[in-house]
Amino acid sequence: MRLNDSLLGAILLVFAGWVWWLTTYFPSFPGQDYGPNLFPRILAAGIGLCALLLLLRGLRAGGAALVLEPWTRQPARVASFLMIPGGALAYILLSDPLGFIPTAFLLLLGLFLWFRARPVLALPVAAGMTLLVHWFFAGLMRVPLPRGLLDSVL
Amino acid sequence: MDALLQAFGLVFDPFVLGVIGVSALFGMFVGAMPGLTATMATALLVPVTFFMPPVPALGAIVTATAMAIFAGDIPGAMLRMPGTPASAAYADESYAMTQKGQLNLCMGVNLVFSVAGGMIGVAVLIAFAPLLAEVAINFSSYEYFWLACLGLTCAVFMSNADPVKGFLSLFFGLLLATVGIDPAAGFPRFTFDNVDLMGGVNFVATMIGMFAVSELMRGAVSLDQDAKVVVQAVGNIFKGVGGVFRRYWLNFLRGSAIGTAIGALPGAGADIAAWISYAMSKRFSKQPEKFGTGEVEGIVDATSANNSALASAWIPALVFGIPGDSITAIVIGVLYMKGMNPGPTVFQENPQLIYAVFLIFILANIIMLPLGWAAIKSARQILRAPRNMLLPVILLFCLVGSFAMTNSLYGVVLMLAMGILGWVMEEHGIPVAPLILGLVLGEMLEQTFVQSMIKADGHWLEFFSRPIAGTLGVVTLGIWLVMLGRGFRRGPVAAPA
Repeated sequence: MRLNDSLLGAILLVFAGWVWWLTTYFPSFPGQDYGPNLFPRILAAGIGLCALLLLLRGLRAGGAALVLEPWTRQPARVASFLMIPGGALAYILLSDPLGFIPTAFLLLLGLFLWFRARPVLALPVAAGMTLLVHWFFAGLMRVPLPRGLLDSVL
Repeated sequence: MDALLQAFGLVFDPFVLGVIGVSALFGMFVGAMPGLTATMATALLVPVTFFMPPVPALGAIVTATAMAIFAGDIPGAMLRMPGTPASAAYADESYAMTQKGQLNLCMGVNLVFSVAGGMIGVAVLIAFAPLLAEVAINFSSYEYFWLACLGLTCAVFMSNADPVKGFLSLFFGLLLATVGIDPAAGFPRFTFDNVDLMGGVNFVATMIGMFAVSELMRGAVSLDQDAKVVVQAVGNIFKGVGGVFRRYWLNFLRGSAIGTAIGALPGAGADIAAWISYAMSKRFSKQPEKFGTGEVEGIVDATSANNSALASAWIPALVFGIPGDSITAIVIGVLYMKGMNPGPTVFQENPQLIYAVFLIFILANIIMLPLGWAAIKSARQILRAPRNMLLPVILLFCLVGSFAMTNSLYGVVLMLAMGILGWVMEEHGIPVAPLILGLVLGEMLEQTFVQSMIKADGHWLEFFSRPIAGTLGVVTLGIWLVMLGRGFRRGPVAAPA
């Protein structure tokens, strides 16, 4: 998935303008010429300049506004692609109510099966990896992984 | 001398040695798996090392990356798939050797010259870092400002990407570094009243997102096309390596020298060192027409170069706090997290720590020989590891690792956002490495810039008034001019595949 340079440049130009606008709310201090807004403004100007170059270049070169690779037309592949960010999102939403162990186990098992691992292998590996990671991070390194449903057991 | 003894005590501790051993195995595995890079290995290691004292933490990173850079050569030769980008320069050449039935020699040369090149890089690091530190102790904000500028510019200049997109990535990284409480005035910038953002953009979670999650997203698409791996059996790999050394010792020295020099440049690392030394080898060879047909000559240059670059990249990192590549950018982040700001003062205040890093480098290169041999022998099993189970497990590591950095879901949310951003950037040919360097160096650059501005009080020439600052400034401005000229003349540059 690839936007044309002109489109990308236009989006980034708006972004640079937005950053600059945000810096106008930064305070300035009397007697101090170089305040907290100086550096971000230089960066916003830099992004704006690059965006402008991209915009001009894209307009000169022409071409389609959006280029899609062949895999984006195959639903199974698109689903595989979405599984990674989707899995992370599921973890963000579920790990607090369910707790780390059930969430991680379900996540691994779901992904294993989606990517066509054999269930005989997927089940024990998902369980083993979950317990291993939990032992290492929660036990050894004292990371407060959410306990969730298993609060009374752990 | 006292510090050196102390360093020995720090390194030869059972826990530290254990960490080094485990990291070596981890690095070998990650490096040998196509699609998993040395940078990814480091990114996944950082959350683990976060809870360790500095010496084992640095030991883990040094060892894992050194192993990963070598191990990347294995699938390059066996499957024509470089295990890490640093092996991409000569993967075709290695594979051609394999097809000619010279897999044993190819692997032996890769292993022995990786170790030897690495040792040369380490020797230069040991010889020059303390000397440079003595010079750097007198640096003022002007010198640091220009050094940071030069490092960041080199990161854009040396990457093969389009300079406009490189700078875009860099500015974005620097902008991300300004999120949070402003160090000078204490004013919260770009926080949108969010408590988590007040502490700034967490660097490790960003890095895990950019280097690991975006890679997983790319990998997930092609998971169903995995070819069946057929790997030739490996025999005695050390046979004939001595002959290669006698014949190509000049190539070895040249490759190591080029690798060391490029590694020491801020902003360029092992992969660029391999490309340039391979090209040099072809340029100065007596038989350049044989390159690409399975000749060992170019491999000697390039495989020595990428391992020597790995060690010398630590020179600017340790002495100035300016990373030589994305791996040392991570190292600098780790040092800051441990409360040890890299820079010349570390050499005076904690010399035992610097010596410990040197010792670990030597140790890592020594154990590379037996471990590398074992990895080559078991390559068949490693390459057969099912990727459809590996990808989800790595995702779980990413999730837990970024959670552990903030002890809250903020790290995980940030990692996901940065993973998607990293993927979008790569899709548009925008390199990720400048962003990471910008994020690491942003605070230092802003501080030295504002300090220098206040000192100069509007007189721009003050930035060039000291001899070293003046030289660095002129060089930096020169590179900017060259890039500007290039950008105008050539227009869009096709990114090499």
